[in-house]
Amino acid sequence: MKEQPTSIAERLGLVAYRNQGRSGARAHIEVDTDICNSVCPHKCTTYVCPAKCYTLDEVGDVHFQFEDCIECGTCLYACDQGAVTWRYPHPEEGRGVNWILG
Amino acid sequence: MEEPFDCIIVGGGIAGLSAAMTLARGGARFLLIERGEFCGAKNVSGGVLWGTDLQRLVPGYADDPDAGFERFVNHRRLTFLDDDSAFSVDFKSTRFDEKPYGGVTVLRAVFDAWLAGKVQQAIDESPYPDESFLATDVLVEEVLMEDGRAVGIRAGDEEFRANCVLLAEGVNNLLTRQVGLENPFVDADHVAVGVKEVLRMDVDRLADRFQLCGRSGLTNEFVGAATKGVEGGGFLYTNRDSLSVGLVIGMKDLREKGGTPYDLLNHFKAHPAIRDMIQGAETVEYSAHVVSTGDIRGLPKELYGDGVLIAGEAAHLLMNAGKAIQGMDYAMRSGMLAAETVLEARKAGDFSSAMMSNYRKALDASYIMHDMRSFQDAVHLLHSEPMFSNVPNVLCDFGRQFFAVRSEPTPKALSMMHAAVKRHASYWDLVKLGIKAARAL
Repeated sequence: MKEQPTSIAERLGLVAYRNQGRSGARAHIEVDTDICNSVCPHKCTTYVCPAKCYTLDEVGDVHFQFEDCIECGTCLYACDQGAVTWRYPHPEEGRGVNWILG
Repeated sequence: MEEPFDCIIVGGGIAGLSAAMTLARGGARFLLIERGEFCGAKNVSGGVLWGTDLQRLVPGYADDPDAGFERFVNHRRLTFLDDDSAFSVDFKSTRFDEKPYGGVTVLRAVFDAWLAGKVQQAIDESPYPDESFLATDVLVEEVLMEDGRAVGIRAGDEEFRANCVLLAEGVNNLLTRQVGLENPFVDADHVAVGVKEVLRMDVDRLADRFQLCGRSGLTNEFVGAATKGVEGGGFLYTNRDSLSVGLVIGMKDLREKGGTPYDLLNHFKAHPAIRDMIQGAETVEYSAHVVSTGDIRGLPKELYGDGVLIAGEAAHLLMNAGKAIQGMDYAMRSGMLAAETVLEARKAGDFSSAMMSNYRKALDASYIMHDMRSFQDAVHLLHSEPMFSNVPNVLCDFGRQFFAVRSEPTPKALSMMHAAVKRHASYWDLVKLGIKAARAL
C-alpha cells in the first residue's frame, strides 16, 4: 500500500503543469514583494497559498515563484495590500495547470 | 470585415458550455473560447453537480454508460466531528435511484470534456455547423469596448467581434472586473479556498466499503474538527473508482487564524473517521481553487451590461446553506438563461443593456436567486463560529455518552445532553442558534 502524501512537495508532484520542458516561461502573476516586506501586517500569502508559491526567508522577507502555481486564485483574493497582479497564464508561453481529473 | 458572431462565450466550463448548448440548439452563431488545452483542463470543483438540469441539457445522459459523470447520489451523510468522534445524520433512499437524478458526482476535467463533446454534436446538428466554434488553448485577454458597449474580445494580436459577450470565466473573474461590473478588489470575506485530493481505489473495494451498487454514490460532508477551528468544512464524495476528499475553508478566517490549506487537509485526512474511509487508496491528484461563499453581498454590481452578460461563478452564483454546496447547477442554469436572452436579443436585433436585463429578470425569477435570497440567513449561520465548533462538540460528546454501554447505571438521554451542553456551550447560546437555524432553514 502506498503512503498518503503529506508534504506539499509530494502533492505538487502529482500536478500536471503546462510547458514543463520550457525554460523561461512567462510569469502570469506578479508580486510587488516590496509591499509585502514593508507595509503588510500579515504576509498571509506565505501560509494561505495552497501551492506554497510564497515563502518566507530567514529574515522574514516574502519571496514568490509562479512555477508551482495551480491557478486557484487564493492570492488574488487573500492579498488586501494590492501587492498581487493576477493574470491567467499564456497557453503557449506561460505555466499553469493541466488537470487530469479536476 | 467578417460578420460578427451572435455571441462570444468566454470560458468552457459548465456555465459556458451550457450557454453554448442552448445557443447551438437555438440556431445562433457563436464562438466559445477556452484557455485550457481542452474544456475542463483548468477546472476544479469539490465534486457534486446537484439538481436535474443536466437532464434538460443532455437528455437521456443517465442511460449512457459513457456519460461523463462519476456516480449518481442516493446516499447522503452529514457528519459532525470532534477530535476523536463522528456523529452523523445519514440518509439513503432508492427513491434517489429514479431519473432524473438529483445529483451526480463529477471530476471536472472529465465531465467538462464530455459536455464539450455534446456541445460539438449540437453544433454539428445546428443550422450553422461551420459557423459556430469551440476554440481551446486560447486566452482572452480583453473584452473590446466601444462607447461603453462590449463588441468582441482580444486574444493576443487577434480580435474577434460579436454582438455580445458572455463571460463565464469562473470565480477569478478578471474580465468581469475589466468591463466594470465587478470592483477591481473583491473582499476575501466573500470567498473560500477549496483543497482536494482525488484518491484512486479499486472499484470493487470502493463499492464494498461504501455500500455502492452499480453507479450509485455517497456524498458525505463534515463540520467541526475537520478544519481545526477555522471556518469551513470537509467533504468526501465517491467517484467511479476514486474518492474526492477535501476542505472548503473561509478565506478571511484562514488569513486571520493563520492556517495553511494543505496542513489542514492532512489534519482532516488523519481524523479516524476519514482515515478509515480512505485507507488503502492512492492519491493521484492534488488540486485547489477559490470558491464563492454564497453571500449575496458578494455578487457583482450587476450581471449584465451593454452587449455583455455574466454567468456562473464569474457572477459568484453559488450557495451553501447546509444542505448542499450548489455552484455547478447554478452555473448550468445561469448559462442556459443567459443564452436564452442572447437568442431573444438576436431575434430582436437588439443587444442593448435593456435587452440584456432580461437575463437578470430571468435569473431573479429562477430558483437560483430565489434560493440565494431565501437562505441568506442560513449561509451566515453556517459561517458562524458555533456551527463549526460548539455544535459538533456537543453532538459528539452526547454521542459518546448515549451510544456507550457501560456496566453501570445509565443516565437518561436528557441529562446526557445537559452534561454535553455544559461542557461545550451554554443553553442560551444553543437556544438562540436553534431559533436562528429553524428560521433560516
